[in-house]
Amino acid sequence: MNDVCVIGMGTTEFGVREEGIVELGVTAVGRALRSCDVDREEVDALYLGNFVAGMLEGQETLAPLVADSVGLVGVPAMKTEGACASSGIAFRQAYQAIRTGVHDVVVVAGVERMTNAETSEFTRALGSAADHGTDGATGLTFPGFYGLVLDRYMHEYGATREQVAAVSVKNRKNGASNPRARFRSPVTVDDVVDSRLVADPLRLYDCCPAADGAAAVVLASADVAESYTETPIAVLGSGHATGRSAAYRYDDLTTLEATTLAAEEAYDEAGISPSDVDVVELHDCFSAAEIGDSEDLGFFEKGEGAAAVAAGRTAVDGELPINPSGGLLAKGHPVGATGIGQIYEVCLQLLGEHENQVDGAEVGLAHNLGGSGAVSTVTVLGGPSGV
Amino acid sequence: MSESPPEFPATRCADCGLLYGHEAYICRECGSETFERAPLDGSGTVYARTTIRVPGSDHQGEEPFEVAIVDVGGEETVRVTVRIEENPELGPDDPVEFVDRRDGVFYFRAA
Ligand SMILES: [Zn+2]
Repeated sequence: MNDVCVIGMGTTEFGVREEGIVELGVTAVGRALRSCDVDREEVDALYLGNFVAGMLEGQETLAPLVADSVGLVGVPAMKTEGACASSGIAFRQAYQAIRTGVHDVVVVAGVERMTNAETSEFTRALGSAADHGTDGATGLTFPGFYGLVLDRYMHEYGATREQVAAVSVKNRKNGASNPRARFRSPVTVDDVVDSRLVADPLRLYDCCPAADGAAAVVLASADVAESYTETPIAVLGSGHATGRSAAYRYDDLTTLEATTLAAEEAYDEAGISPSDVDVVELHDCFSAAEIGDSEDLGFFEKGEGAAAVAAGRTAVDGELPINPSGGLLAKGHPVGATGIGQIYEVCLQLLGEHENQVDGAEVGLAHNLGGSGAVSTVTVLGGPSGV
Repeated sequence: MSESPPEFPATRCADCGLLYGHEAYICRECGSETFERAPLDGSGTVYARTTIRVPGSDHQGEEPFEVAIVDVGGEETVRVTVRIEENPELGPDDPVEFVDRRDGVFYFRAA
């Protein structure tokens, strides 16, 4: 098995963008290639995550279009789709291909364009990640799924609305100093609990904003990584798992098994435990999601996640900083770009170059989740001194 | 609400007996493709509930509407995703009863 490293990275800002889907993808991939000394002829493949370009833009065949546009000639290029985990899956596939010796250098990208669609069209497109015949038929939306999760969570663990709102407050504060974020203004607990209801008990400021954007990384076998960069980031472990297909399929709606299974695989492969992680970017599509994720990833006991956020334990200067980038709640959630966007932020932390730098960050974790907990990827990354 | 609610149209795997609320095409326990009717008592309990106030384009104009996860049945129960009628303030552990199934969606109301 080859060890695998991130040797280059590039991104666009996440927000309201004028560029089309291909241009966004090309920009991020171009920046990633320019960030390291890789010639285009040395790239063996391009994997690209995207979710709704077909529905919202009528543009498919994205991976080969992006590959051709950046001058990657003749290489295999393919799109991966798993709703909001689309590019986490792309990363995983590239990682496996290098690890097993199929490829040496692979570009992985994620791209999405969403803000050009009407809210109802965009909500419908996102809703296509739910099972049409069961959850989808009732009109359950994505915020609705997490409304159900939060309703049950508050009932079982006695978490307060104010504690849950602390997630949005923290992430919006972090996003305020991240130039890649869509929202750069802080909010208060009162702002969150007074904002309009979207899917009770979730309110507007509990929900991540739609966004356009793209992010890319270049992965390489550790054998060749140092010929391209002096600061390779090691992929210490990777997990990818399937969870439940619909809300009714959960025995316990407060635990999303796709995450616990992917995390277990990633921790095992990295040979670490949750307490070894220094910085986390996790899938906070809704405030309630961050709380559940932080427990599913093993950082807090079941039912303690909400109080932990409210107590500041996950702030940038807390014992375990979660989403110092501002997360999806502030950066925005261009769904197909999110997974690589998270890995980009973790890599910046491990390089010591983040705007909200976590002191001494040497092990980072990125967690990407798609659908109603249907799919998750977890990636554990290590700083350049450890390669 | 003294009348008993209509039976809930559950199905059962003919080979291993696993009970299904939503349709199954293949049994996730044993792989069988054979199912038989197994109607359940239409009374149930809310597991979790939300009110959708921003629907997708295919449910525009219906908002606000309530979606819930319900455990339906008597001795034996199955968990299903349903619509709650009449928008009551129902929450976890509240009793509900089956109304009917329209366009593939199960409708329940407060019991
Ligand atoms: Zn069976």
